[in-house]
Parts: sequence; C-alpha cells; structure tokens
Amino acid sequence: MEHQTKSSAMQLGLLVFGALAILTAVEFAIALTTNLWQVLAVIPFIKAGLVLYYYMHISRLFENDEDVDKESFAYKLATNRIGLWLFLLSDMFIFGGLMISRINLLGLTRPDLIQYLGLGVTTILLISSFFANRAEVSMESGDRRQFLVSISITMSLGILFLLGVLGVEWRLAPFGPSTNLAGAIFYIMTGFHAFHVFSGVIFLAIVLRNGAHGLYSSEKHWGVEASVVYWHFVDVVWFFFYPALYLIGSLAK
Amino acid sequence: MRKIYSIGLVRGLLWQILGTAVGIGILTGIRYLLGLTPWKPESAFVFGALLGALFFVYGIGAVDGWIKVASGKEAPELDETNWGRARYFGVSLDHKVIGIQYLVLSLVLMLVGGSFAMLFRTELANTGLQFLTLMEYNTLMSLHGMVMIVGILVGVAAFMNYLIPMMIGARDMAFPRLNAFAFWLVVPASIILISSMALGGFDTGWTGYPPLSVRAPIGIQMFFLGVSLAGMGTILSSLNVITTALRMRAKGMTGFRLPIFVWGSLATSMISLTATQLIGLSFQMVMFERLFGMGFFDPAKGGNPILFQHLFWFYSHPAVYVFVLPGLGIISELLPVFARKPLYGYKWVAISSFGIALIGFLVWGHHMFASGMAEYLRVPFMYSTLLVAVPTGVKFFSWLGTLWRGKIVFPVPMLFVLAGIVVFLLGGLTGPPNATVATDLQLTDTYFIVGHFHDTMFGGYIFPFFAAIYYWFPKMTGRRLNETLGKIHFWLMTPAFITLSTLMMRIGLLGMRRRIADYDPSLGVTIDNRVMTVAGFLIALGILTFLINAFWSLRHGEIATGNVWNSRSPEWQVPSPMPIHNYDKPFEVVGEPYDYGLPDSQYIKFIEEE
Amino acid sequence: MRRYVIIFILVIVSTFVVHEWLMLVHLFPREASAQSIPVDQLFHVHLWVISFLFSLIMVTLIYSLIVFRRRKGETGDGAYITGNSTLEMTWTAIPLMAVLVLAYAGAKTLGAIRVIDPTALQVKVTAGQWYWRYSYPEFGVTSSDLYLPANRQIDLQMTSVDVIHSFWVPEFRVKQDIIPGRTVDLRVTPTLIGEYTVRCSELCGLRHAYMEGKVNVVSQGDFDKWIAQQESAAPESPELRGQQLAQDYGCINCHSVDGSPKTGPSWLHLYGSIVKLTDGTSVTADDNYLKTSIIQPNAQVVLGFPSNVMPDFSTVLDQTMVESLVAYIKTLK
Repeated sequence: MEHQTKSSAMQLGLLVFGALAILTAVEFAIALTTNLWQVLAVIPFIKAGLVLYYYMHISRLFENDEDVDKESFAYKLATNRIGLWLFLLSDMFIFGGLMISRINLLGLTRPDLIQYLGLGVTTILLISSFFANRAEVSMESGDRRQFLVSISITMSLGILFLLGVLGVEWRLAPFGPSTNLAGAIFYIMTGFHAFHVFSGVIFLAIVLRNGAHGLYSSEKHWGVEASVVYWHFVDVVWFFFYPALYLIGSLAK
Repeated sequence: MRKIYSIGLVRGLLWQILGTAVGIGILTGIRYLLGLTPWKPESAFVFGALLGALFFVYGIGAVDGWIKVASGKEAPELDETNWGRARYFGVSLDHKVIGIQYLVLSLVLMLVGGSFAMLFRTELANTGLQFLTLMEYNTLMSLHGMVMIVGILVGVAAFMNYLIPMMIGARDMAFPRLNAFAFWLVVPASIILISSMALGGFDTGWTGYPPLSVRAPIGIQMFFLGVSLAGMGTILSSLNVITTALRMRAKGMTGFRLPIFVWGSLATSMISLTATQLIGLSFQMVMFERLFGMGFFDPAKGGNPILFQHLFWFYSHPAVYVFVLPGLGIISELLPVFARKPLYGYKWVAISSFGIALIGFLVWGHHMFASGMAEYLRVPFMYSTLLVAVPTGVKFFSWLGTLWRGKIVFPVPMLFVLAGIVVFLLGGLTGPPNATVATDLQLTDTYFIVGHFHDTMFGGYIFPFFAAIYYWFPKMTGRRLNETLGKIHFWLMTPAFITLSTLMMRIGLLGMRRRIADYDPSLGVTIDNRVMTVAGFLIALGILTFLINAFWSLRHGEIATGNVWNSRSPEWQVPSPMPIHNYDKPFEVVGEPYDYGLPDSQYIKFIEEE
Repeated sequence: MRRYVIIFILVIVSTFVVHEWLMLVHLFPREASAQSIPVDQLFHVHLWVISFLFSLIMVTLIYSLIVFRRRKGETGDGAYITGNSTLEMTWTAIPLMAVLVLAYAGAKTLGAIRVIDPTALQVKVTAGQWYWRYSYPEFGVTSSDLYLPANRQIDLQMTSVDVIHSFWVPEFRVKQDIIPGRTVDLRVTPTLIGEYTVRCSELCGLRHAYMEGKVNVVSQGDFDKWIAQQESAAPESPELRGQQLAQDYGCINCHSVDGSPKTGPSWLHLYGSIVKLTDGTSVTADDNYLKTSIIQPNAQVVLGFPSNVMPDFSTVLDQTMVESLVAYIKTLK
C-alpha cells in the first residue's frame, strides 16, 4: 500500500464530501420538482460507490499478500478486513430485505414526513462521514490530536442524528407504527438503521477512549479502521433509505 | 457451591434466569411508570428472553475477551492445557473443543426434536385423537421442524469447526473468540426456542406464516426470537469459516487441492452468511406486527401476507442446501478412502457445490406455486428449480465413478455413506415432480413433500453425519466406536427409514395433507400410518443403540490413535487425539488430496525445522 | 467392455421393472377433472425419468459394490483413475436433457390446466377457521356443501376471512391457497360424477385437520334440480335468511343466541340495549351499530372483549346479507 501524503488524502476526502453533498442536493431538488424516481433510484448507487471506494477503501481487500508471513501483523490485518467486510455483506441483506419490503408494500408512495428535517439529518450523517474519514487519515499519518478531535465530532454528529430521527422525527410524525403501512415501514426502517448508528456510536466511543490512552499508532490502528468503515457503511445504508423514505413517490394515504 | 458456579454452563444458565427476570421487571416497571397496564405478558416475555440470552453470553464469559480489548487491555490467549474435562462445559477458544460442543448440542437438540416426532408419530398410528390435544399436536409438530433445523445447523457447524482448521493445516479458526461467541449464542437461543412450549405453544408449523402466526399464542414469539438469535450465531460462524478457509491454508494448498469437504463448507457458509438475515428479518417483522401493531402482513391494513413468504423462503430454501452440502462433502470425502481410489472428477465435484449454492438462491419461489404469488413468476421458478438437477447429477455420477474399479471395504462409516447416497437419490428423484408447477399443485402441502424432504435431509445430512461421527470419533477421542453396535444401528435405521419416507410419499399422493393431527379414515391410509409409526420406533431404537455405543466407547472402546482408516487427509497423519494447537510442525501440500492408488504419492509433507 | 454391456442390459430391464411396479401400486386418487388428465400425463413422464435415473444409478452402484469389493487377502488400492472430462460433460448433459424435457412438458401442462373458459360457472368460496362456504351469484344461492355440475368449467372465486387456507380436492389435482384480503381464482372442470372431499391444505390453526367439506359433482340436470331446491328452500323472510347466514358463516360459533358467554358478545337481548365500548363511550345497539360491527368489527369494540379477533366480513357479505343478519338479531331482543 503506497502512502499518500496526509494533506492530499485530506483533500481527496473533502472532494468526495463535496461530490456527495452536491448529489444529495440534486436528489432533494429533483424530489421537490420533477420527482423522477428513476434518477432518485440511481443516485444512491453513485454515492455508495464513491464512499465504498474513497472512504471505505474496498480495494484494500484485493491487495496481494501471498508472500507475507502468516503470523505477521499485516497478514492478520488483512484477515480481519475480510471478516469485517463479510459481516457488512451479511448485514446488507437485512437492509436489502427492508428495502424490498418497502418497495413491495409502498411502491411509489412515501410516508408523510418533515422534508427539512430529513435533509437535516442526512446532512449531519454526511458530515459525520467526512470527519470519520478525516479521523482515519489523521491516524494513518500519526496526528493523534487531529484524530481525537475528528472522532469526537463524528461521534457527536452521530448522536445528533439519533436525536433527530428518534427524538424529533419519531415524535412529530403524524402517524404511529400501527396507523398505516407507511408508518410501519417508516418505523422499522429507521429503527433498524438507528440501531446500527447507535452501535456505531458505541464503537466510536471505545475507539475514542482507547485513542486518548494512546493505544493506536500510525501502523497499528485496526480498531480505528474497523469502526470507521462500519460508520461509513451505516452512512451508505442511509443513502438508500433517505430517498426511499423521504423523496421517492407521492404521499401515502 | 463455588465449584459448581465455576462451571461455565451453570453460570450462564443462572445469568440467563437472572436476565429474564430483570428484563420482565424492567419492562413491567417502564409500563407502570408510563401509566400503562403494567403487566403485558407478550412484551415482557420477549424483552425478558432477549435480555436473558445476552446475560447468558455475558455470564458464561463469551465476551470477556472483547470487553478487555474494548477497555484497552490485552486479551491473552487462554491456556487450556490443564483444564481437563471442564473445557467442554465453558468458554474454550479451541476450535476442536467448540466443534465437539456443537456436536453435543446438535445431538441434544436432535434427540429433543426426534422425541417430539415420536410423540406425534404415535398419535398418528390411528385416526382420531389418542393422547394429544390439538394444540399439543400442533406445537410438537411445529417445534419438531424448527428444533431439528437448528439441530442440523449446529451439527453442520460442528463438523466445519472441528475439521476445517485441521484439514487446511491451521492452528485454529481465523477468529477464535467470535467462534466461541457464536456457539454460546446458540445455547440460550435453543433454550428460548424450546421454552415456547411453556408459553402456550403455537400452531403455525415451522414456517410461521402470518396472519396465522399473528393470532397464535405467545409461544410463537419465543419461537421467532430463538430462531433469530440462533440465526445470528450461524451467520457469525459461517463468516468465520469463510475467512478461515480463505486465509489460513497451509503452504501449497491451492483451491483445487483443498479437501473436498472444505468446498462444500464454503458453499454452505456463503449461503448462511447472507440469506439467514432474511429469515431473521421476516420473523422479526411478525414479532413487531404482534408487539406494535405494524401492519406489514395484515391485509386489513394493506399489508401483504405473500411478502412474508418471499422473505422467508429466500432463506429457507437455500437453507436446505446449507444442510446437505457439507453432508455431500462428507460423502465425497469418505468414498475415496473406502474405495481406495481417487475422487472421480474432483474439480467438477468442487464446482458443483457452488453451482448448487448459486442456483439455490434463485429457486425459492417453488415453495409458493400454490400460494397466489404473481402468476408470471411460476414458470421462471420452475426452470431454475429443475436446473438444480444438473450439479446434483454431477455429484452422483462422480460417486459412481469413484466406486468403479475400486477395492471397496465396508466398515460402519462406509455403510452410512452408501445409505446416504441411496436415500439422497430417493430424495433427489422425487424432487422434479415438485419443480414442475402442474404436478406440484397436487403435491404441495401433502405428505409427499414431507417424504421428499425427509429423504433429502436424511440422505444429505443425517446419514453422512453419522458416517462422520463413526469416522472421526477416533480423532476426537483416541478410541473407536464399536463396529458391531454400529452395524446394529445401521441395520435398524436404514430399512426403517426408507420404508417410512416411501410411505410418507405414497400417502401424500393419495391425499393426506401435511401438518394434520388427525386424518380421514376414508383415505385408506391407516395401515400405512401404523407401519410408519413402527418404522419410526425402529429408527429411535437405532439411535438409542448409537448413544449406548458412544457412551460405552468413550471409556472402553478399542484404542485407536493412529491412521485408523489409512486416509491421506492431513489430520490422520498425526496421532489422535490432536494436541491443542493442532500440528506441532507445519505442513506443506505437495500432491493431490485423493491420489489413492498412485504409488509413492504424497498429499502433505511436514516441514522439518532446521 | 463386458461390464458395460451387463450394466446397460440391467439398467434397461430395471427401468421397465421399476416403472411397472410404480404403475401397479396404487399411487394416485381417481381422475375427476379435466385438469387431472394432463397433470397425470406429466406425472407419468416423471415416473419414466425417475425409473430410468433410479435404475441407472442403483444398478451401477450395486454392481460396483459387488464386483469391486475387496476380496479376502487382497491388499493395495484401486485403479488410479482421476476423471475424464468427456465423460463428465456427458453426464452433465444427461440430467440437462431430462431437465429440458421436463421444462417443456411442465410449461405445456401448466398452460393446459390454466385454460380459461369465459362461460365458466362462477362460484364464490369463503374459507374461514374452520369452515367452507359457497355462494352461487348466478342463482343467489348459498350453501355449506359444494355442488358442481359435471363437464362445465367452474370459476372458483375464493377469499378468506382470517388466515391463509388452501382449496384442494385430491381427485381434481389442483390446489390454490386462499389469502385473506384478496380474491384468488381457481379453474377446475369436474368430469366424474361422485362425492369428494375438499381438504384445507395450508396449516390454518388448531382445527386445520378437520377443515374438510363435501364436494358433490352431479350431472347438469341434477345440478339444476339442486339449485331449484335451494332457491325454494331458501327462507323468504329476512329473519330466517339471517338465521341461516349466522349458521353458514359461523357467526354463532362466537356469538351465542342464548346469552351464554363465548368469544364475542351474545346476541340475546342485544338489539336496542346500551353497549359499553372499550374507548369508554356507550352506544345504542341500533341497525346502524350492528351493520358497522359486522363489516368493520374493530370500529366499535365492546368493553371486555378483545379487538382484532372477529374477521372482516365486508368482502364476504353483501348489503342484503348484512341486513338479513340484523333482522335476525332483532328477533332475539
């Protein structure tokens, strides 16, 4: 793995964030105007691709390490990566199942939700992903202070997201889980996602604590990488859930 | 007292009881504080059971290592050298111990599930209700299905865990802690699953279709929760298997030099890693529908009962391949040893496992031909289902090719392998009539399906499973199982089972529906049912012989520490039982795995340290 | 070579023996519908395939086990044969051929049993825990036994009031699950006059085993007679019709008419009384209240009784049927 310099990695992170932000804005604009569901269905895949490649470093899975000693840290690290990604693959099927249920039950309708709140929590999660990436880049270059700051921001934004969805949206929604189908789908999708965000926050908190105790170095920081990749994954899921719940289709009865 | 508490399992169980009580207390307390009716049994028991499972896992110490890591400490490897028998009753990180723990749990679960079957099989010996009420019958029948399924999943995990690291020359699994955690999650899950009997049972069958499952007694919640948790354990264990097989192989062990069982296990694990989430999700959706009134499957709220069936079968059909692929792997693994010939067409057999697994993802709709799903889906599902015959055929012909011109010997494991082939053939051949829609409309939900299914399960799993136990028992214990008792077991079980399953198919064709507590005497199937009950008891007697054999041989069996079967597989090249970290010296693969009959060929060579 | 010839002959002989044996044992119920003919033809294709593949594998297996067994005093291993790609491809092709044959035959048969006749006699089927009810919209007749004229396609329009059930008469060879909240159709053309049993074949709860009903296939003449009989026997007065409906649709399984406690409130002295509801309010049990309770059972739930128990009858009962029921309940005051 060739080492990028820290500043260029940070720039790349910012660039990706910019692209994601623009795509999200485009989504929102399309939803308010033409509501072409075909476009709204494609954009999340582009966003997910960007995050998978630039933030989650999916290519690291395919690095060749045949000749490395099997007891070495590098080999074990690569093994851990495979384990983590297999877990994400498995998790993807839950969210896929939820999406299929949503498509089957609601089709081109959506629950009646507060648009600006949806955009707000999406933005919060997007920014948190940017800082998660920044935290990892900082750790790789050995900048512990920057790492601690970034990971704290990520975590706080995660908590803010949870408050936004569970504290505000769940309370203000004009329906309960048992009112109608749209309500049922809304609560189960946000519920499963929020549970993952919550576990992500816990992982970040553990990493923050251990980072503050100086347990990670620029070479050995699997904990940081794992929790950040997991965090990005949760973010990617929201890329799909956000248009599915807030944007696509007309209001359900 | 302290000594008893130091046994992991006891500690776990005590914590589970505590957790359940705490969960019930918390939920009732919250409801009281919110001003709702405090005692709502359904939510209280669900929350209690969930917390109970978590407490169990914590109490037994399956998460100790992770807590240490999370709090910034080193998590040392456990030194289990002097633990003796206690290793088997608590958290151990050794894959061989975990494998044997899985094996014992599997046997326990299958004995429980099997005795349920004996109860209702006896009930069916005559028309009318003899000694079970309708609710008891339905609960036993439903639990028989799911307890057996969990038992089989656990048994599959047993052999994957026990064998794969040894076969590929690894010290242990890739993630030993995750391995232990996955196992100890299944234990409370099984307890919760069976506890559904105490909470009113349920009358939905193992499929738990809504809206019926929305109306069933609270027992169904324990069923859903137990299966979800056990599913979680399966997912984690298959994740571990895949990573291990990908990353921990000895030098020179390339893909097509892997023991064939590893191929089957990989295909199996790919399925359970991904698809299991959907049975969990579908069951959880019904749980939420019951708890919070969410109307996913409630037609009155616009929900779609068919959606559940799609989600459910997306796992539950491939699940069948999860059960049989390792079993077929065991058949392919053992045949060359007892025919003293190379496995015929190794690459084809290896790839056919993946072929079955991949096609398996595309065929779930054949369970729903009569369900009222979209009509245009029937034909593509019919075609994809028929295609399963192709890779399955490859396996059969390869087995025949392996036997051809061999020097076949017939010790007990070989008998079970052969019975497995014959029974799986019966199961396989009765598959296509279920694949073509028109004939399936007659067959679905009848005893024909029950017969077909039991044939595939016994042929693809139960018989190979016993073959594997007889074959690897010396590796596990250093003693052999008694051959005579083994043969009695075999001859009690095999003809009886073939009679049982064939008659099941016959009465199904004649009009006996599945899952019924009583049947119409005018169908003329009463005598068949009596014969089946007798056959059932003979099978039970066979299993009893096996248990006696196992307990007796554990202490008094013939000592066998060497290469009992004259196998080429790596694990047999060292004395039994294996030491804690498997091989003292690492090995290198220098030849093909099944080159029996090629003089002076070697599969592995131990690397001498300089 | 000799070995292959022996096996070839044995496989052929065995195929015919197995097939004959399968034909001799009593496997299928009578063929009582037009649909059962193509279905059974497909079954016979399957039986040939099964007989052949079973013989091919079993003969080779048993032959190998006998001929290639290790004899006393023999040592050493078997022949060193690792595989043969041509042979592998051949026996990938054998099942593939079988698959293609079955795929073709399967699709053709499916088409044959789904042929829709526009002049079919429509019968509405209502399934519930645990009963079958039928109504003939053409004649305005309802019944708890199914009467079908022979040699005419029947269009069964089926719905369920509670859980999933499944309509299956083994002699007709077709089966269809019945889903609450929708109407599914099943086409069947009975051909053989006789008495049959419809058996619910999707697990539907406690008494699933007993959810059976009579099916009578009769000649067109007898069918017309039966219809006429039903029409004349049908009570003229709405009160009596209501009483009949209460029995046919299982109302009285949960609502007693003598004041005794059952799953739902008793109908005795119900009309005109003041009913306390779960939401704390009270209503007078007038026509309107009763009608609402029948078609929207969860709108006004009586205090002390659970909600979500009574099925939604709005798709099953039409306006006049509901009115008849109310008329009957009135007589019980």
